[in-house]
Amino acid sequence: MTSSVSSSLREYARGVAGGLMFSLPLLYTMEVWWAGFVAEPMRLVVYIATVFLLLLGYNHYAGLHHDHCWSEVMIDSVEEMGLGLLLAAAMLFLLGQIELDHNAYEIVGKITIEAMTIAIGISIGTSQLGGGEKETKAAAEASAQKEKTFTGQAVIAMCGAVLFAANVAPTEEIIMIATQSHIAKLVGIALLSVALTAMILYYIEFTGSRRLARRNGVLSVIVGTVISYAVALVVSALMLWFLGRFDEPSLLTVVSQVVVLGLAATLGASAGRLLLQ
Amino acid sequence: MKQKINKNWLEWTVFGVSAALIALVLGFLIFESATIGDALPDIHVLTGTPEARTSYFAVPLEVTNKGDQTAEGVHIEVVLRSGGKEERADLEIAFLPRRGAREAWVTFKTDPRQGTLEARVLGYEKP
Repeated sequence: MTSSVSSSLREYARGVAGGLMFSLPLLYTMEVWWAGFVAEPMRLVVYIATVFLLLLGYNHYAGLHHDHCWSEVMIDSVEEMGLGLLLAAAMLFLLGQIELDHNAYEIVGKITIEAMTIAIGISIGTSQLGGGEKETKAAAEASAQKEKTFTGQAVIAMCGAVLFAANVAPTEEIIMIATQSHIAKLVGIALLSVALTAMILYYIEFTGSRRLARRNGVLSVIVGTVISYAVALVVSALMLWFLGRFDEPSLLTVVSQVVVLGLAATLGASAGRLLLQ
Repeated sequence: MKQKINKNWLEWTVFGVSAALIALVLGFLIFESATIGDALPDIHVLTGTPEARTSYFAVPLEVTNKGDQTAEGVHIEVVLRSGGKEERADLEIAFLPRRGAREAWVTFKTDPRQGTLEARVLGYEKP
């Protein structure tokens, strides 16, 4: 069924609201603007490709059009990324961060790096901030079924982790904490991350956690927690690599940064994931 | 099973514009990465015509980075030699993107129009 122009307009507006909601902290952070032109062009290309894959995954497992085929998921993802680019350009212009006398690479770099989180925000905004009137019960159940698969959970956990970690990843504070903290405290951060993950997923009965914890048992709690934290660590590592924080000679500093960022990422991978689906 | 995609004109327009934008950005980035070299930052400072302000003189600077790498914390010094005396002014630019330029001003108490100006880069770091 073709939806009316006014209803798709409302859907885009919802996406724009979601995109801004989730990425405003990044639009207001100067380290992110700088990262846009410091990063080599090839890294930005890799970043765009990774985010696009995430969008495909999220739209497939949790997206609005539950009765979709892959080409529709593809179209939705392209639209979200395009809207993200437009929105990033408009916001950066209003914030005075792109001027006409800046060189092209600086402008494109800044827009690209901001647009990617906005695109994820748009995707989540479109599917979460409403749309209830359109969704049929059968479609909702179909999507719930799909979400329960292992890959579905992993993809949504990744989106949650990216969304949460992105807010702190580019800041100087990550490297400050990582280099100045005593190793025991870093171990403490890691333990806290694991404990929080287990608690959020299996203990405190967060919205939506019931669905996950049906097969209770110590083993499934351990496996679920380990997987979530692993996803969080992988996402942290990817983000830090992208931001050039791995151009560091010391392995300890690299691992420390991953652990420090991992706390934010694991909150996203556990709590975020429950809220996003 | 092949499903028919139903989209209205607005959705097709948004899709078209989005696809074009993504292609443009990707194309640009790939082109840049193919043409960009590895040259270290190469910073040039150009001094403009001094202008009189209320209680000082301002000299506009055009700082260009001709290298392929971004420089952070670019420290620039301008020396004014006039009538056997020297006056120094300096400024710092937080980030100077690869092949990018920034406008800046240094100020002097003595009228720079009577003397000679010499600008140089004191230092910068890798971001």
